[in-house]
Amino acid sequence: MTTILDVKNVTKLYDGEVALDGLSVELQVNEYLSLLGPSGSGKSTLLRVIAGFEMSDAGDIHLAGESVAGVPAHKRGIGFVSQGFALFPHISVFDNVAFGLRHREDDPVRDEGDVARRVNEMLDLVGLADLGDRGINQISGGQKQRVALARTLVADPKIILLDEPLGALDANLRARMRIELRRIRQQLGITFMHVTGNEQEALAMGDRVAVLDNGRLAQVADPDTVYNQPASARVARFLNCYNMFEGRAGDDKQFCVGDASFPYPSPQDASIGPGTYCVRFDKIRVAPATAAPRPGEAGVRATFITSEYSGPSITYFFEGQGNKVLEVEYHLSHRQPEEFSPGSEYSLLWSPGDALVYS
Amino acid sequence: MEEARRRIQGGSGVSAVAGVAAEKKDPRARRITALLVAPGIIWMVLFLVVPMLMMVYVSFWTQKTFTIEPTLTLNSWIAFFSSETYFGALLRTIRIWLIVLAATFFLGYPTALFIGLFIKNKTIQTIVLVLCVVPFWTSFLIRVLAWRPMLGKEGAVNIVLQKIGLISQPIEVLLFTEFSVVIGMTQIYVVFMVGPIAFMLSRIDPSLIEAARDLGASTWRIFRTIIFPLSLPGVVVGAIFVSVMVLGEFATSAALSGRKVNLLGNIIVTQVGSLKWAFAAVVGVMLTAVMAIVVAALLRLADLRKEL
Repeated sequence: MTTILDVKNVTKLYDGEVALDGLSVELQVNEYLSLLGPSGSGKSTLLRVIAGFEMSDAGDIHLAGESVAGVPAHKRGIGFVSQGFALFPHISVFDNVAFGLRHREDDPVRDEGDVARRVNEMLDLVGLADLGDRGINQISGGQKQRVALARTLVADPKIILLDEPLGALDANLRARMRIELRRIRQQLGITFMHVTGNEQEALAMGDRVAVLDNGRLAQVADPDTVYNQPASARVARFLNCYNMFEGRAGDDKQFCVGDASFPYPSPQDASIGPGTYCVRFDKIRVAPATAAPRPGEAGVRATFITSEYSGPSITYFFEGQGNKVLEVEYHLSHRQPEEFSPGSEYSLLWSPGDALVYS
Repeated sequence: MEEARRRIQGGSGVSAVAGVAAEKKDPRARRITALLVAPGIIWMVLFLVVPMLMMVYVSFWTQKTFTIEPTLTLNSWIAFFSSETYFGALLRTIRIWLIVLAATFFLGYPTALFIGLFIKNKTIQTIVLVLCVVPFWTSFLIRVLAWRPMLGKEGAVNIVLQKIGLISQPIEVLLFTEFSVVIGMTQIYVVFMVGPIAFMLSRIDPSLIEAARDLGASTWRIFRTIIFPLSLPGVVVGAIFVSVMVLGEFATSAALSGRKVNLLGNIIVTQVGSLKWAFAAVVGVMLTAVMAIVVAALLRLADLRKEL
């Protein structure tokens, strides 16, 4: 593996506020890195600094071994697809895609036949072969996304940066575009860096997922590791699939949350605290309040509020101590949906080995 | 000139409503649409279409010394086209209009570019646009007459140039010439060019310019291929404003040319003043025709309906 993009200790301030705080990340050739972070975590800033639209206040960025300091955006060989697609509304789909080839300062393509060949090839690749003559206002959101991508791809960039590319699309289109993006990438062998606030998108798209928190990388790992072993409580929170309990270390080798206490997941975790105890939504079993827990099981009492059916799974919402909302997810291929009566108390049980504790 | 402007606005309004009506086949909805459109149509017919037809009709009446009689004749029209003075005024009006239009565009576009694109803060943008309108807080006449002490033989411009030593004799052609009329009109009307263009420019999404730059286009290319085409509707609206007002002008030319530069507007004023109604009507019809052609031609340059 060769490193194509090397970001080292990049810091960026906005009016004295830290947007990027000494952030470092490496991208391998032909890798798909998804960058997950809540809004305000600095993810768009990072993309803009890499693309060259913003200057970093400290740190280095190397592209294929060479520093890009002082190199303007369009000479970096980086394609950038912005959130709103930024298509030129007054010219056709074809002319949008051809824009870079025709109008770039360095080595523009003068031969219109050549332009047409390359543009049509690219429109074909993104599945818009017949729509070249359409105006930008005559195509759908998903098609705009593809045009934006084709416009960037046609210039043969080394890296493509995608800023929340699927954010403006509805759920159905998102899923299809995810598959499209994968296919295009496999066909072209380009390195992608994809910024998103959506944890599912990040996990689904990335060869590796980088989790950004307050201008720093909280974790960089493959999606499986990020999902099952988040590096910190904050990463777990971004993944939006863990119930989190704030608490402290108790006297009896237990983690105390209010007046409840849970066994530690493993002996080496013991004595962590004060900290956060995390249990994934789908690792919890709901039992009647009167039922005795199985040996070794941990649990809390909670009141059922409502449920939400989403096809392959169903999510139950409970209210625990201190009005805390707890979620339980049943994957319906493994478990039968259950009827709970709103307002009644139940036991939420899990085996401590499935839980995670962070200080 | 007021009439023509109203006609443009009223005209597009009516056709837009008619378009909605055509989409809905429901007879009830159609009746409501007709009811809503009726007052506007009645108003336009009574106060625009009928007066204009009257004007055309009157232009064929017979002119007696102080009265006109409804006996149809071509005399006034023949007088207009055979007279050097009057036909010359038509050509002069068109020439001055073209010069003022060009001057307001070349002065106004850069100004609008600065306001609409380079000032990012919307509040400051509004403040600067309001500053452009400040001259309108004084009366039209004062604004025009203020050019006399500026451009006169012993005016500010000549004094300054003489003090610097650039000229030894005062330049006399500054005032009471076509030049001073053009200067005066440009100063008054340039803001009508700046406003619509600045508005269109401020609506351009900055990410478009960023994208164009990322794709490798130079600043000049970006201006030519992205910024200017997107601001074109503003240019067209500004040009229509300026054209309609300049073509009907008579006050600026009267005040700044010492009555040496006669535009069609000036002729109408004098003819009406000496009760030559039929002849004034001929000039009025000509002026309206010129405006109609100009506005129609300008509207072909950009599809304004898309911008509504």
